[in-house]
Amino acid sequence: MTSTEAGALAPAPTQRKRPIGLLLVAVPVLLVLWLIIWPIIAAMIQTIWLPTPDGGRALSVSSYEFFVNDPYSRANLAITLWTTGVCAVLLLLVCLPIALYLRFSNSKIAAYVQGLAIFPMFVPSIILSFAFIRVLGPNGTVDLLLNSVGLPKIKSPYLTPWGPVIGLVWDNIPLTVLILLSGLGNVSNQAIEAARDVGAGRIALLWHIILPRLSNSILVAISFAVLGIFSSFTLPYILGPAAPEMMGPFMQRTFRDLFDPTNAITQAVITFGFCILFGLFYVRSVAKNRTP
Amino acid sequence: MKRRNFLISAAALTAGVTIMPRLAFAAEGVIDVYFTSDQNVIDFWTNVVKPKFEASNAGITLNLVDGGDGAGVAAIGDRALAALASGTDPQADLFEGFDTRVTVDGIAKGLYVDFEKAGLSNYSKINPLAFDIPTNLPYRGSQVLLAYDTTKLDPASVPKTWADLVTWIKANPGQFIYNRPNKGGSGGNFVRRAIFEANGNDPTKFTVDNFTDALATETLTPAWEILNDLAPSLFEGGAYTSGNTQSLQLLGQSAVTMIPAWSDQALSAIQQGVLPETTGLVQLQDLGLPGGFTKLAVLSNGTNKDAALKLADFLLTEEIQSAVLTELGGFPGVSWDYVSADLRAKFADIIPASIPTFPGGKWETAVNDGWYRAVAPNVDPAS
Repeated sequence: MTSTEAGALAPAPTQRKRPIGLLLVAVPVLLVLWLIIWPIIAAMIQTIWLPTPDGGRALSVSSYEFFVNDPYSRANLAITLWTTGVCAVLLLLVCLPIALYLRFSNSKIAAYVQGLAIFPMFVPSIILSFAFIRVLGPNGTVDLLLNSVGLPKIKSPYLTPWGPVIGLVWDNIPLTVLILLSGLGNVSNQAIEAARDVGAGRIALLWHIILPRLSNSILVAISFAVLGIFSSFTLPYILGPAAPEMMGPFMQRTFRDLFDPTNAITQAVITFGFCILFGLFYVRSVAKNRTP
Repeated sequence: MKRRNFLISAAALTAGVTIMPRLAFAAEGVIDVYFTSDQNVIDFWTNVVKPKFEASNAGITLNLVDGGDGAGVAAIGDRALAALASGTDPQADLFEGFDTRVTVDGIAKGLYVDFEKAGLSNYSKINPLAFDIPTNLPYRGSQVLLAYDTTKLDPASVPKTWADLVTWIKANPGQFIYNRPNKGGSGGNFVRRAIFEANGNDPTKFTVDNFTDALATETLTPAWEILNDLAPSLFEGGAYTSGNTQSLQLLGQSAVTMIPAWSDQALSAIQQGVLPETTGLVQLQDLGLPGGFTKLAVLSNGTNKDAALKLADFLLTEEIQSAVLTELGGFPGVSWDYVSADLRAKFADIIPASIPTFPGGKWETAVNDGWYRAVAPNVDPAS
């Protein structure tokens, strides 16, 4: 120990720092436990510990049975899954080319493209919704433009399941592009140039060099977007059809308009169950990223 | 690099703004009013109520806050109930367009002022039809009517009975839309009118206390049949907007020819140019579309409770009640004897003596749930 003083001294401070580090982490961890984890557990208990007619409470899964056996609730869950899936695919199709362009372009236009791609982040979804009705709604701007050149009107997606899809994809572009862009930082220019030198075409480059390094970011981006879309409220509420409705508006309506907290919380727990699946994808890919 | 730096700092800034703690304390002499009503009502308060009240009550100002919708203000109510339990400041004084029943246990725990005991000098002037429970103070009324585009539909041939309306909707598919009954009263009261139609046009059949599941099934099922029968002839073969404003927008964009709309909202929309001047308004003559009275609640634990009660009393004066008629396009909350005589004469022919109303409480829940299950999916219940 004494012979290598420098080496022996070095670990000591880290030993002493450890409780301070834990203390620093304790505040957010306790906050998460108190404000997020505990309410989730309390809500779950509330849905299976139901009041009985004689005034007591008993273990029961009747609210879940109701959800599973109710075609209306199932249709709402199905449309939510459909919307989320379609949005995820569309987001990838839209955002990957933008991210690739931004990563590899050196032109001045790239700055404007990036500005445009980030812009939706600063638009509140309620404003987006009403702008959407003005532009893509019946007799909206698009119809006016088409009409001025003698073309027929579009079939408006407003109040159909495609309304929220278009709105949600637009709304989620910035986050997805940013995450993909950061993932593309892992792709070194040397690797690309080396592949080009041995004659790799554009498709081969994308498939063998870029995508393998990007798969993690794609997973993260999609799980982030999916988590937000699955429980979204404003856009499906304003732009979507009255029925089937997505889980967000459905929960809110059950809670506030039907005064039925038990079923609303049951819907929330089921929604949470699906979101936790997507969340696991995210956690897994982050963990995979950490272990070298 | 600049681009990326900008992005990082912008992202950090956004995050910072969102998580910044919002510390606010109710100020003495500033009445915090939360609204569930639409923008036209808030405009009315900003332009009429606020200046008049502040002029006659030096030292008191109004802070008008748009609570979004019923749920938004209900959340403030829940917070106030929590504040009552812990003896802290609820940071709110008065709720506009709010039913005190919504806050679970709120009335029982004395969160809301009982107006029967509050000693308002104008309390006795309130229209007897408008009374609900003592913690709800009715101060204005409104009724749903039909708004239509006179360039597409001649006012001479506009439908004036329910039967004519149904014939017109079916003869002009895609030209009529109403909003979801829980997302705004214009569609909600159109649905309630259909319920009256299915039950002999007799509003007295429905009271707050007579709800039973059996009666609901018996009275509502035929109404869902009427509405399902209309659905294929509605806009897009059965689409329903998600609010009063969205319906007005579709009429304004000339996407439909006729919508049900609140009288006050339609009038101010025409005044502001949201709806064109060629918009016509008509009320059904066999039985009008229902309406209702908008209520206020005053928090018993608000910092400015006394000032808020003064404001509530002020709203019932002839000055404001007449302005409700002339500026807002609504109906007074007081009996007609308490608005100025010339206004009474002017509106006597236009406004029906009675507004059919439909009870809230369990009936409302049954209507909302039933409509979503039976009408909104646009399916044939028999299949």
